[in-house]
Amino acid sequence: MTKEYRTLHTTVNLPYELAFGATLTRFFDGLSAEKILGTRCPKCSRVLVPARSFCPRCFIDLDDWVEVGQTGTVETWSLVSYEYIGMAKTPPYITGLIRLDGADVSFTHLIGGIDMSSIDQVQSRLAIGTRVKAVWATEKPGSIFDIEYFVPI
Amino acid sequence: MGRAVAIMGTGQTHHGKRFDVSYPELVREAVQRAFEDSGLSPEDVDAVVTGTMPSMMEGIALNHLYLADAIQVVGKPLLKTETCGSTGMSVAHTAFYWVAAGLADVVLAVGFEKMYEGDSQATMTTVADPWIQRSFVAGAPGIFAMQSNMWIDRHHIPAERLREAAAVISLRNHDDAFDNPYAHIKARISLEEIKDSRIVTYPIRRWDVCPNSDGACAVLFMSEHKAKQMANPPAWIKGVGYRGDESYLGDSDKVRWNTAIDAAKEAYHQAGIVNPRRELDVAEVYNPFTFMELLLYECFGFCDFGEACDLALQGTFSRGGDLPCDPSGGVLCTNPIGATGLIRVAEAAMQVTGKAGAHQVDGAQLALAHAMGGVSQFNGIMIVGSQQ
Amino acid sequence: MSGRVGIVAAAESSPAITQDNMMDAVYKVTKELLNKVGIDRDDVGTIVTAASDVFHSGISCANSYYWEASGGFLKNASRQDGDSLFAFLYGCLRVLSGHFETAMVIALTKGSENPENDTVTSLYADPFYHRPLGINETTAAALQMRQYMERYGITAEQCALVTVKNLRNALFNPYAHIRKSVTVDEVLNSKATADPLTTLQCAPKSDGMVAVLLAAEDTAKALTDHPVWFRGYGSAMDTYTLGDRDLLRGTLPQAAQAAYTMARLEKPSEEVDVAEISEPYGFQELLWCEQLGLCAEGKGGRLIDSGTTHLDGRLPVNPSGGVLATNPYVARGLYRVAEAYWQITGKAGEHQVKKSVHTALAHSTHGFAGQSHTVVILGD
Ligand SMILES: [Zn+2]
Repeated sequence: MTKEYRTLHTTVNLPYELAFGATLTRFFDGLSAEKILGTRCPKCSRVLVPARSFCPRCFIDLDDWVEVGQTGTVETWSLVSYEYIGMAKTPPYITGLIRLDGADVSFTHLIGGIDMSSIDQVQSRLAIGTRVKAVWATEKPGSIFDIEYFVPI
Repeated sequence: MGRAVAIMGTGQTHHGKRFDVSYPELVREAVQRAFEDSGLSPEDVDAVVTGTMPSMMEGIALNHLYLADAIQVVGKPLLKTETCGSTGMSVAHTAFYWVAAGLADVVLAVGFEKMYEGDSQATMTTVADPWIQRSFVAGAPGIFAMQSNMWIDRHHIPAERLREAAAVISLRNHDDAFDNPYAHIKARISLEEIKDSRIVTYPIRRWDVCPNSDGACAVLFMSEHKAKQMANPPAWIKGVGYRGDESYLGDSDKVRWNTAIDAAKEAYHQAGIVNPRRELDVAEVYNPFTFMELLLYECFGFCDFGEACDLALQGTFSRGGDLPCDPSGGVLCTNPIGATGLIRVAEAAMQVTGKAGAHQVDGAQLALAHAMGGVSQFNGIMIVGSQQ
Repeated sequence: MSGRVGIVAAAESSPAITQDNMMDAVYKVTKELLNKVGIDRDDVGTIVTAASDVFHSGISCANSYYWEASGGFLKNASRQDGDSLFAFLYGCLRVLSGHFETAMVIALTKGSENPENDTVTSLYADPFYHRPLGINETTAAALQMRQYMERYGITAEQCALVTVKNLRNALFNPYAHIRKSVTVDEVLNSKATADPLTTLQCAPKSDGMVAVLLAAEDTAKALTDHPVWFRGYGSAMDTYTLGDRDLLRGTLPQAAQAAYTMARLEKPSEEVDVAEISEPYGFQELLWCEQLGLCAEGKGGRLIDSGTTHLDGRLPVNPSGGVLATNPYVARGLYRVAEAYWQITGKAGEHQVKKSVHTALAHSTHGFAGQSHTVVILGD
């Protein structure tokens, strides 16, 4: 490029008010009470967490509420080391899929309470198959961060 | 089933950081090149299909309105197909169905993105549901790192072997990009530099990751009777397939990934392909991350589950190997998202019509193009061939 | 084209602002549609949804989020942005291609969760020129309206009459969002938005989920005794830059002609029995009627004065109450199709028009002053 052309610096900032709906409201009420709730599908028998109003596969209404375990097994994880605008957590942090005891799908959350200064440190405490348990936030924001993170047992 | 459809021309921008042009100018560059390549003119076009990643990427909503003149759709019908990362492939599918249905003879498909104008990872994070996953997924690298880690664990791939195989994939794509005049990243890097590059989201390192690119791609689809009146060689659409699974990442197995397996099966069935590694001459696999490319080889039946690392190390998927993959340098070197899937289709069409220039795979007659999207949910395939 | 494609059934969500989240709301309308036909998700060939992404919902690539809610698990499905008549066409194309026997087309918008309509429509504008000047769908429509009144002597009262008529029709439509009876004076004296437009001449911001099931001819006949056939389609985009366009000579005549040709309609003003026309701004119903060839150029005002387009008129327009009553932005095009389908099958209930209906027109528009127009012709 021989000539530098101009660029416009601008921001778009929009407010939204998103409905949780009945099922997620009950799920998040559960988190406030330190319970992790799922719903069981009467057709395929799977327990889905977070709770769903319908089974994605059988396509029927779900209303059989179950409290699942606060412990589970790590199905996969990633140490996040890069940063971008709008990120919910400041890196480094570990995001993971956790198969909670009593659930048939995996739950997305953070894995914490361990040294994250290097990948080697993390790997000394964490692998696929590691057992973890929920650590509840003392001040509950009324969001998914009512659980602060899951810690290796 | 439906009418036969052919690709009769493709056009790409020089991808990269394109602050030398505005968004409409960028798009027009690709559209004009598609017309030049095909020998057609805008008056020949019956309909236009377009798509991009979401509005947040460039801060413009429903950008088919702003870009209407650049995509030459004024006075014509338009479809605006968007399916996240697989948008470009879904745009190609839309053009295909439009012609196959008999409601148009010539359809221009255009995909574009100007990723340097916004924040791509922030944008991609808003694909995830706002309640739960959005707080954790860490953009595309976060999701694909988790999927890669599952795959590594499932097949008990030793860490060193994995790093070696991923580095070979990265090196191959970066070397191939030098033979593609439109590719964005042209970097001479060594195997050691790739292996020792910094970790982004474990196991993904700097050189395992695609760039953000500005770029556009345009492809002209044509009905059989019109295509046969043309002097230039057609790339016939032999098969299309597409599948999606749940928005919650934890709901489906992403190693034996059914959306990839079934989308490929749907397309193979239509194309009459039984042994993809033997029958396909080249594949343009959507590979924003080296590990995903390896995982997808297995889902597409290019090899058995657990075999991809070994075969990649043997050169099976390099130029000169059994099934050369991403001779264009792939997504790893060029990623204007809304265009990326369509670039795979364009590259596949170029290969089977002998127009790929320095990155031509000799004698290629049957090629697979692929794209994926969503919260690691969607896979789309298009197979093109030189013979009808 | 290999045979015909027909509408087998349609479902609409209730109009009230729903407290369901997007995913649950989509599931409910999809499930309602399947239940109406008595089939399962497994029986559906393909799905095309329509929704705008992040600015219209706070969620990017929104079909990732509601994929399973629309029945898409392990299916070949896709999405259209901006206009749900695009999704309707794409569903028809997928069936007509012979690749799928059935297609569900689902459109969804949750206006209640969104910023104001024009906060979003101002983002259609390029960031360099139109956007800083405050161009959005309402200001662009106001420019168009003034020209229209000036050039053809259309009066403010005639424009206001569209709101009066459509909101009166909406009183008979249980799915309508705004349900109140208003007078011409009330419309003209409502708060000015962008002069000459007033609040009651601008569409609201509504929630809306709508779904239709399409099927290839034989399957359609097997699934219902009263299929409604897709007979014609026309669509045309105009140029972007407002100042480059004649706002009163847009691309709607072209879109309409393409649809009429395909449907083999020679005198649409006589052959179309009922029309559902997108009128996000009241006067546009008059202008669009002219450009659709339903009356002569400049005669839109006289058309509504004559009562022709009223519920009991010779050519009822927007018996559902139209977009002025219910405006789930992206979904509004498919609402027109669903309403046309009900009129043809005689299932529109209290807002069923008095005359018998065999041919109906559905229209949608988006963009500044009608930059995009789409016309669909349906018939039994
Ligand atoms: Zn189930």
